[in-house]
Amino acid sequence: MGTLIVNVARGDATERRSERFEVPAYESQTVLDVVSWIQQNADPTLSYRFACRVGMCGSCAMMVNGVPRWTCRTHVQKVAKGGALQIAPLRNLPVIKDLVVDMDPFFDKWVAAKAVHHPSRGRAEPMAEIAPDEPGRVTASAGIECINCAICYAACDTVSGSPDYLGPAALQRAWTLVNDAKDGARDAILDAVSGQGGCHNCHSMGSCTTHCPNDLDPLSAIAGLKRETMRKALRRA
Amino acid sequence: MRLERHDTDILILGTGGAGLFAALHAQQTAPDAKITIAVKGLIGKCGCTRMVQGGYNVALGGGDTVERHFMDTIKGGKWLPNQDMAWRLCEQAVVRIRELENEVGCFFDRNADGSLHQKAFAGQTADRTVHKGDLTGIEIISRLMEQVLARPLEKLQEHRAIGLVPTADGSALAGVLMIDMRRGVFRLVRAKAVLMATGGGPTMYKYHTPSGDKTMDGLAMALRAGLPLRDMEMVQFHPTGLLAGDHTRMTGTVLEEGLRGAGGHLLNGAGHRFMFDYDRRGDRATRDVVSRGIYAEMQKSNISPNGGVYISMSHLGPEHVAQKFPGMVKRCADCGFDLAAGKVEVVPTAHYFMGGVEVDVDTRTAMEGLYVAGEDAGGAHGSNRLGGNGVANSTVYGGVAGDVIGREVARLSLRDPDEAVLEAEIARAMHPLSRKPGHVQTLRNALQEAMWEDVGVMRTQAGMARGLARIAEIRAELMQTGVDAANLAFNLTWHDWLNMASLCDVSEVIAKAGLARENSRGAHFREDFPEEGALEASYFTRVQGAQVTRAPVQFTIVTPGETILPEGEPETLVAAP
Repeated sequence: MGTLIVNVARGDATERRSERFEVPAYESQTVLDVVSWIQQNADPTLSYRFACRVGMCGSCAMMVNGVPRWTCRTHVQKVAKGGALQIAPLRNLPVIKDLVVDMDPFFDKWVAAKAVHHPSRGRAEPMAEIAPDEPGRVTASAGIECINCAICYAACDTVSGSPDYLGPAALQRAWTLVNDAKDGARDAILDAVSGQGGCHNCHSMGSCTTHCPNDLDPLSAIAGLKRETMRKALRRA
Repeated sequence: MRLERHDTDILILGTGGAGLFAALHAQQTAPDAKITIAVKGLIGKCGCTRMVQGGYNVALGGGDTVERHFMDTIKGGKWLPNQDMAWRLCEQAVVRIRELENEVGCFFDRNADGSLHQKAFAGQTADRTVHKGDLTGIEIISRLMEQVLARPLEKLQEHRAIGLVPTADGSALAGVLMIDMRRGVFRLVRAKAVLMATGGGPTMYKYHTPSGDKTMDGLAMALRAGLPLRDMEMVQFHPTGLLAGDHTRMTGTVLEEGLRGAGGHLLNGAGHRFMFDYDRRGDRATRDVVSRGIYAEMQKSNISPNGGVYISMSHLGPEHVAQKFPGMVKRCADCGFDLAAGKVEVVPTAHYFMGGVEVDVDTRTAMEGLYVAGEDAGGAHGSNRLGGNGVANSTVYGGVAGDVIGREVARLSLRDPDEAVLEAEIARAMHPLSRKPGHVQTLRNALQEAMWEDVGVMRTQAGMARGLARIAEIRAELMQTGVDAANLAFNLTWHDWLNMASLCDVSEVIAKAGLARENSRGAHFREDFPEEGALEASYFTRVQGAQVTRAPVQFTIVTPGETILPEGEPETLVAAP
């Protein structure tokens, strides 16, 4: 099957370098397999992160030839240009070591956007009857399969330019909740996403929607938040 | 080597369904307690609850009852479950599902009229499984994760537990030794109460489904601490794991059960359907039967290029398949396989571990201060877990643990660790760092081959004895294999070594418990003892240290041959397909 030439970004937050590896190519081989092969066979000190292996956990995203991707679900043949791969840690997040980033800033923003369900009922009460085709529910359901892999966050130039910006994933989750009839604090969510770092920072470049491996559409969700926060501000005035 | 010492009130190990629920409930029950949550990966991202495809079993009316769910669970477990645990599981699932929807914020699939949609999995006599498409686990864990992240809990991510450290007199747990993986340093975290919810995950088999972080560390720690473990021979195999060669992590991952239910065909290497040779239900037989059917074809060398069989869906119409199973079709396509129109190689794959630490219905163990929930705890499933009972178990008992610990923590206090045990555990983890670096992955492969061949889908006395010898050889070689210690920060190869140590310990116990069970029940099939044995004389296996014994099953709620369903209740409420 031949050999892949793989350049891997190495080092910790202060000292970065690139190292070149030759990796045997196989017919069924993902980028995660390539990274694993290097650690298991060529350089036991290489650090990377993965968990589920099947695109459910969002732990293994990296920059592959400059593009943020789930490495577990990216077939080498789809991305290797002339048998070459460049692998680097996910953009817009602090590097811990080699290919591992600290995802805390991403999740801190998730919490800052109040992107967490606010109960309107308790466990002793029956569940809400909500038809799946109700308009609010359809909008809420559109973004619900996000696995918080931070690919959209890495793809976003606004995040790169303004470190306060909450980013596409947190804002999309906020929009889901604003449309969720079960959420008990929808106004508070709109307040949380309309201030500094909020939805109005978005320049609608759409890299989030372009790169989402789950085919979700954070761009439209953020547009929805922009409309709804404006409407709320006008109501207040 | 540096050791940092840290104290907390409540320490939770793991952030799957059990760990996250325990954190929420402990905080509700003991709002003033300091709660620390520690996890081998990232919060909510590692672990197996997130990977649940099918759904959540819960009796919510429409003719279905807690009693019916309970009877299905007992029969599915072939009369081996701890009946009080199974009852609590079925009863509390009703509360937990409402909590998930109303308080945690999950949204499960609805019928057109807005009511909850429920379906029936194999082995169930009612439409009972609540779900979110075929990605139920993502919805449950993403919502739980948000709730936990938003609360002021202490979070120790990429902190791996490596040893339970008791008090000097051995009467109670003092704390847990961990490695802060990012920095590569040891930390002893003392706590008044510890919940172990690290998940099982039988990844010592050549083909396996669990998350890559899963290496049975919890049960290995419990074994070293001398706690009694039960049902350790019970490894559930899922019949259709993806088979894509030895060099890819895709191999072993699950292709969902629904493919066979919808009419998918299993074909051997010659392209012939074979399941009707083994069972009148053919491809739709239960997981254990289909796994054995495939294994038998493999033994006869009726195999596909990579050594398994095929699943074929195309006769149902590629467009129909793509529409009905979008997630599976896309996953296969990303990996280079055409599930909708072609055929995909599959193999039985180790999926779930029914065995675990012996606990009471309140998650307490024999050691004061230690509680266990989720896949680390044994008893609720007996010899076989029904699809949909896994996530119900982890969330129900995680919540129970949080409540119980929250109530009991006030009367518990911090304890001094046995410094000799602490030193021994540190020495155990440092063992490879002073030896000549070797190739850990070769040993992992050897262990996975040994367990698959000798302690796998079909077992014999001679096979398991051979397996034990192979495990011992592999462990001896592991002890001679070193790891480069130049930089211990995020040193995956050191953790691979520690993973292997856990897997060797638990593999040995699986084989020993398998030898002790001289009949065939649920997931455990003995070619030399193919009968299930007298149900009323059912026993479960117990491992404690080097001792393996049998203990009689207590029929505290129902005895074999009887039912707790009212007279005249139909056998099943599920319409025939």
